[in-house]
Amino acid sequence: MSTLWTYARSNIERTALIVAALVILMALFGGLLAPFDPLKIDFRSKILPPSPEHWLGTDGSGRDVLSRLLVGAQMTLASTAVVLVVVATFGCAVGIFSALVGGAVDNMLMRLADVWLGFPPLILALGFAAALGASLEAAIWALIFSWWPNYARLTRMVTVDILSRKFIASADALGVGTGAKIFRYILPNAFDVLIVQVTLDISAIMLAISGLSFIGVGAQIPLPEWGAMIADGRSYVANGWWIVLAPGLMIFLTAFSFNIIGDMLRRELDPTSRRR
Amino acid sequence: MTYAIQRIAFSILSLFILLLTTFLLSHVMAGDPAIVAAGPNAGAAKIEALRQQMGLNDPIFIQFFIYCGSILRGDLGTSWFTQQPIAQDLLRELPPSLELVLLAMLINLAVSMPLGLITARYAHSKFDDMVRLVVMAGAGLPVFWIAILLQQIVAGNWGLLPIAGRLSFANRSFSGPTGFYLFDSLLAGNVSVFFDALAHLLLPAIALSLLFTAVGVRITRTSMINEFRKDYVTLARAKGAGEARVMFRHVFPNGATPALTVFGMQFGWMLGATVLVEEIFGRPGIGRYAIKAVTQSDIHAVVAVVLIIGVVFLVANLLVDILVYALSPRKQRAG
Repeated sequence: MSTLWTYARSNIERTALIVAALVILMALFGGLLAPFDPLKIDFRSKILPPSPEHWLGTDGSGRDVLSRLLVGAQMTLASTAVVLVVVATFGCAVGIFSALVGGAVDNMLMRLADVWLGFPPLILALGFAAALGASLEAAIWALIFSWWPNYARLTRMVTVDILSRKFIASADALGVGTGAKIFRYILPNAFDVLIVQVTLDISAIMLAISGLSFIGVGAQIPLPEWGAMIADGRSYVANGWWIVLAPGLMIFLTAFSFNIIGDMLRRELDPTSRRR
Repeated sequence: MTYAIQRIAFSILSLFILLLTTFLLSHVMAGDPAIVAAGPNAGAAKIEALRQQMGLNDPIFIQFFIYCGSILRGDLGTSWFTQQPIAQDLLRELPPSLELVLLAMLINLAVSMPLGLITARYAHSKFDDMVRLVVMAGAGLPVFWIAILLQQIVAGNWGLLPIAGRLSFANRSFSGPTGFYLFDSLLAGNVSVFFDALAHLLLPAIALSLLFTAVGVRITRTSMINEFRKDYVTLARAKGAGEARVMFRHVFPNGATPALTVFGMQFGWMLGATVLVEEIFGRPGIGRYAIKAVTQSDIHAVVAVVLIIGVVFLVANLLVDILVYALSPRKQRAG
């Protein structure tokens, strides 16, 4: 954490780090801080503008927007995290395997990844939702299904590069086993490149998940997932702008912050993009 | 020539995997296709009859070949909710979406190309840093959120552009042979319909293009920076070529080609992203059709949309790759 802070070179980057930390805290403990029940419907207090009691107002069913944002942070961010962890792990495994085996298998796996990479994840997710039924889980599966080739390609590229270095030749001469080679040499050396990619992908995956929820094939209304909240608030946008503005702003600020952090990490960790 | 054959073989392989995916989605993952096809209120006898008729007792790979055969004949099945052949539905819904995507792509290119070139020329300047920040912000914008805000503020509050639909009420009876209203209206010499259609397209196209433009600027910049570092640029400068000549005559054509590949891919992604925009702006189109199909659990219609967008994606990439190949003299010699 403190290392991250020393990477920051401008106030914009420091702000992004603070925002990202706050959002993560919100995802972890937001439920405890929520002043109201995020699902409790109360039509007597519907579409109330922001006030000392309801800081961000209430939505079309009288639910407290702030409480919903706090609870929803967990849904949006946890789904993003699940997708990224699975995709990075699986993609890494395929990429390292492909690079180590080489030859025809390598060629075929990478062709497959190329084909896969192309298809618009949003549309593939629609297909998944139609086949499995619309839910946050279906959306997560769809994104996992369509995103792993990114990591397979990247890891393969990095692994091939690592395998060509001298320390691998020395390790081979010493008779180091394949498992040890992967965990002691390849993964630690590939880590920097991967962490940059993961950070940059956070915003893309978050946008995809909230987009899927918005069109009704991810988290279902009335769940307080941020995209679903925007879908729910759409019909009130003319007389209750805060209902749509607040969750959208949260998505935007989180995505923007992680983009800045990813950019910063790339500058600090990726040798190919050093400033000349 | 070898390159073209390899490239086409790759497209065919991609098409095969696409068909396999849509087959798995509609015939395996969705549960028993006979029950699906029979509809919600069918009895056991009808389901068994359908099972025989659809060949579901055959081995799965034979089913897959039958499936591919009917798709290649243009038979995508019948939609429940429109009660029409899906292929016919898609032919009707595709033009409005393509029109939207083409305009969004035009905006994307018109912003990305010059901004990418300028930020590459003045890399790491104040201006470059500012654009980089704006671009990172753009890449964090939820398309559907921006669409709602644009609609509410620009169309609703300021009344500058129409709120929804494809044409105004006065022009509601307009129709043309291609379904691309911008094209059809010019063909009919009807300028007022042209501008009406354009006004209706503007907000959705801007909303759709923002995210992709953010990526486009970055890609163009990276690709141009690589060009500026090459020896021929130094040589051109040494020979006394002006900076404008270096930028537009030398760097731009060379740097634009690798970026084109990404724009080609973006075309398919944009067509996919119409699901986030069309519904909001009440425009007919393939995205709105897909959402309707999902909410009606019309699996075959949804999968047909997946298939058609996949095919558009493959064709767009193939065309762009062949174009890039044709533009690059080095590859021609090697191939």
